[in-house]
Amino acid sequence: MHFVVCAKQIPDPETPPSAFKIDESTNTVVPAQGFQPVLSQYDGIAAEAALQIKEALGDEAKITVLSVGAESAQAAIKQVLAMGADEGVLLQDDAFEGGDSHTTAKVLAAAISNLGDVDAIFCGRQAADWDVGQVGLLVAEELGWPAAILAKGVEISDGSMKTTRVMADGFETVSQALPAVVTVSNEFGEPRYPKLQQIMQAAKKTVTTMTHDQLGLDPSEVGSSGARLKLEKLYIPQSDSQVEIIDGETPEEQATNLIAKLVADKVL
Amino acid sequence: MADESSIQNNRLQSQLIGKWWMPAIALSLGGLYLAMQFSSPEGAGRESFFNVAHPWSVYVFMASLVSLLVYGLVRHATLWRLGKDTPESVFANLPHRLKNVFRLGVAQDKVRRDRYAAVMHWSISSSIIVLTLVTAQVAIEDDTPLNFLHGPYYLFFSFYGDLFGLIGLIGVGMAMWRRYFVDFSRIRWDERPEDHLIIVGLGLVLLSGFFVEAFRIEVTELTQYPDWAKWSFVSYVLANFFEIFAMNDNQILWSHSAMWWTHIVLAFSWLALIVFTRLDHLFFAPINAFLLRTDSPGRLSTIPNIEEQEIFGVGYIQDFSWKQLFELDACVRCGRCTDVCPANIAGQPLSPMHLIQDLKGHLASVGPSIQKIGNEGGDTRSVSPISMVGEVIHDETLWACRTCGACVQECPVMIEHVPTIVDMRRFLVMDEARLPQTAQAALQNIEMRGHPWSGTALERTTWMDGLGDVPIFDGTQDYLYWVGCSGSLVERNLPITKAVFRLLKEAGSSFGVLGQEETCNGDPARRLGNEYLYQILAEQLIGTFKEKNVQKVITNCPHCFNTFKNEYPQFDGHFEVFHHTEFLNSQLQSGALKVQHELPETVTYHDSCYLGRINGVYDAPRQILDFVPGANVQEMQRNMSKGLCCGAGGGNMWQEEVGERRVNHVRSEEAIATGASKVISNCPFCIQMFEDGVPAMHPEEVGRIEPFDVAEILELAVFGNQDNLEEITEV
Repeated sequence: MHFVVCAKQIPDPETPPSAFKIDESTNTVVPAQGFQPVLSQYDGIAAEAALQIKEALGDEAKITVLSVGAESAQAAIKQVLAMGADEGVLLQDDAFEGGDSHTTAKVLAAAISNLGDVDAIFCGRQAADWDVGQVGLLVAEELGWPAAILAKGVEISDGSMKTTRVMADGFETVSQALPAVVTVSNEFGEPRYPKLQQIMQAAKKTVTTMTHDQLGLDPSEVGSSGARLKLEKLYIPQSDSQVEIIDGETPEEQATNLIAKLVADKVL
Repeated sequence: MADESSIQNNRLQSQLIGKWWMPAIALSLGGLYLAMQFSSPEGAGRESFFNVAHPWSVYVFMASLVSLLVYGLVRHATLWRLGKDTPESVFANLPHRLKNVFRLGVAQDKVRRDRYAAVMHWSISSSIIVLTLVTAQVAIEDDTPLNFLHGPYYLFFSFYGDLFGLIGLIGVGMAMWRRYFVDFSRIRWDERPEDHLIIVGLGLVLLSGFFVEAFRIEVTELTQYPDWAKWSFVSYVLANFFEIFAMNDNQILWSHSAMWWTHIVLAFSWLALIVFTRLDHLFFAPINAFLLRTDSPGRLSTIPNIEEQEIFGVGYIQDFSWKQLFELDACVRCGRCTDVCPANIAGQPLSPMHLIQDLKGHLASVGPSIQKIGNEGGDTRSVSPISMVGEVIHDETLWACRTCGACVQECPVMIEHVPTIVDMRRFLVMDEARLPQTAQAALQNIEMRGHPWSGTALERTTWMDGLGDVPIFDGTQDYLYWVGCSGSLVERNLPITKAVFRLLKEAGSSFGVLGQEETCNGDPARRLGNEYLYQILAEQLIGTFKEKNVQKVITNCPHCFNTFKNEYPQFDGHFEVFHHTEFLNSQLQSGALKVQHELPETVTYHDSCYLGRINGVYDAPRQILDFVPGANVQEMQRNMSKGLCCGAGGGNMWQEEVGERRVNHVRSEEAIATGASKVISNCPFCIQMFEDGVPAMHPEEVGRIEPFDVAEILELAVFGNQDNLEEITEV
């Protein structure tokens, strides 16, 4: 068995609001000083799901981590390697920059086809920076594989993948034939804490880097040139709050005044 | 003003306890003087083995005892030898170690921390030592050409023999009182049959000794030399009492002989208990005093060349050092450690005594097989059918430890529980990656963000808002003011950081801060067991310090203080480190800081473990409070070296507590009980624990005790109330 975990490196979601800056002229996020980018939390959970299945299969499986990103994304790949993944591939190319979910999926799908014998792809339910949640499904679309999203449980046996999906009103269990794609939700559980032995082994592993040439991709199809989604404006919303104390001698009177006020402001 | 009387009282009492045995010595010397003055003592003396057939049999007993002792020692030593080498040589710093043997082994400094036990234990131990010398003298008199047991010395000899026999009986009586007649639980937490054997046995040995002497006196001295007999004052009384039975000489001689044999058999049997019971502490306690680390108790051992290791922590008994294995045998199950353990006090799953005993039991059960397999060159790690960490010692037991050092402080046989616990945590974290979710989150946050405060909305420079020009350390200033993660990233602690900053400025000190460049110094990682992460952080920060030419550091936090002061030297980081209370106190003493405002309040002071017990800084914070006019310090029941942890130490700041109560609730209750209006501490963790614990224990907001840092109090005393402060800031 060969599993792929798709991992994205994102700006630290815990960057304090005061340190989060945007360059409105280029519509980009200014990297906050002193805050290193991190592995998107849902991708860590996807890796955990893949690792648990690998263990259930008696370690008879290989896990490859794929990431589209800059050189710094090596750190995110190493983190998944430390958890127990076997190999890492960084898809790094200027041509991949400025893309959207569609072009990212295209690059990932090309890399997966390149790997050849992949049986299952594990993605996080969404990346914790833009929270779009489309890449997993679009990879499946590119490859023509079935996909299940928002899984809280995944099992693989007899050539099929069984997932328990989180629905608005409960859970749903679906089965799909391999090869297949699953996006894993936070309900699955926490990712593991790596053993030091594994951290050190991961540090020694080399992460392969691949560009559009090696993947046989036309630069016009990927990155900003291939993107169908155009970012019009990126800005931090201004929020404003005003407090007004409602007068009144008794709670009843205060309530009456509050309602009058709400009606006057057309809230009610 | 601090509650002088209670502190003074505490110190005076411990000094007095230190000298309580002086009356015994004085009494003996008085006896010697009187014996010298005795009018006609020339003939005084006695036959060494009076009325004893086959006195040589004593040497048979003696030889058996020695063989037994050697057998016991070898049996123990085989098990100790399973352990690894100690991190530092046990012969390094020899004078200090010899001093420890005297101070902690012979003078029993730690035993004295429980006053009743001090008197009881010294009575028993001094009695055993003196009576052994008495017996030895009889043997020398009898079996060597030396003859000295006659004349005045014989009388003196009779006197102090009886005196220490009596002292021993008093000690036994005190021990029995605690064990059988009063509700004194800690010695019964792990009570075993041998405990009764030891105490009752010793009582019988001493009593039978007096009986033997009394029967002899009745025949040889009572009527013939009553002036001599009186020197053996206990037996003299006893012999007079025996006169009631009006036995003839033959009967007395028969009783004497029977009692002599009883005494000998009892005495040697009792001594044999050394081999089989906790009585072995007679030797192991002074030896462990010798083995006791000579550096700071706030320093954990490093793992050298960590990247080349295969196993990082201690998950198998043979991975402890031989000293750690030796310690297990020194434990006497007195329960003092568990009695003061904050986790145990709060009903959480840790008892240091049981931890040590469980490890000892595990060593005894698997040790011999490990030794055998090891000799055959097999895999010793697969010998134990159960896992030491997890099954013998449960995970939650290890996580409940606050590393507060109270157990180590109290242990009368100098066991160091904390390093042993952290060694097993290292196994859990680095080898097994098995740790509570919350601890994991804190560690990952340190890895990813360089601080343990996951979810903080603050930046490292937020505290500087409104303070005007904050100097950044550039190597030209004298001091680096180290704010720390808790001082900058936790809302509650910002006023403390600001207070220290304002006071340093007011004192005219030359200092700077690192601001954005500060990063976790690794303390939480090390205490939680991730030594690897600690080493990375420590080496990084030491590099930064050296690069910026940092020489002297003032810290907000006692944990940072301890790490810089005691642990960074392990990585060649040598800095002069001050806690803010030490530095501010020196500024008050020199007059650089002047207190101008009254604070007419009763306050209580909480010693943080890492400033107080572990680094011995008890006075500086109290002296600052002494400077505050009107402040009246009401000490808590547990204070100074006996202070109770707030509950946050050892990485427990970031863990869910398991057990009946929370430690901070217990400590908050103790603070509330003083009736003070403020509880003052010196540690951002303690303050946070009180902020959380006080409202839980005192839901009514009115009259609730307020947690304050020493610096915040001093700020009020120097600058007045908050309104004044804002004006100062604006200027």
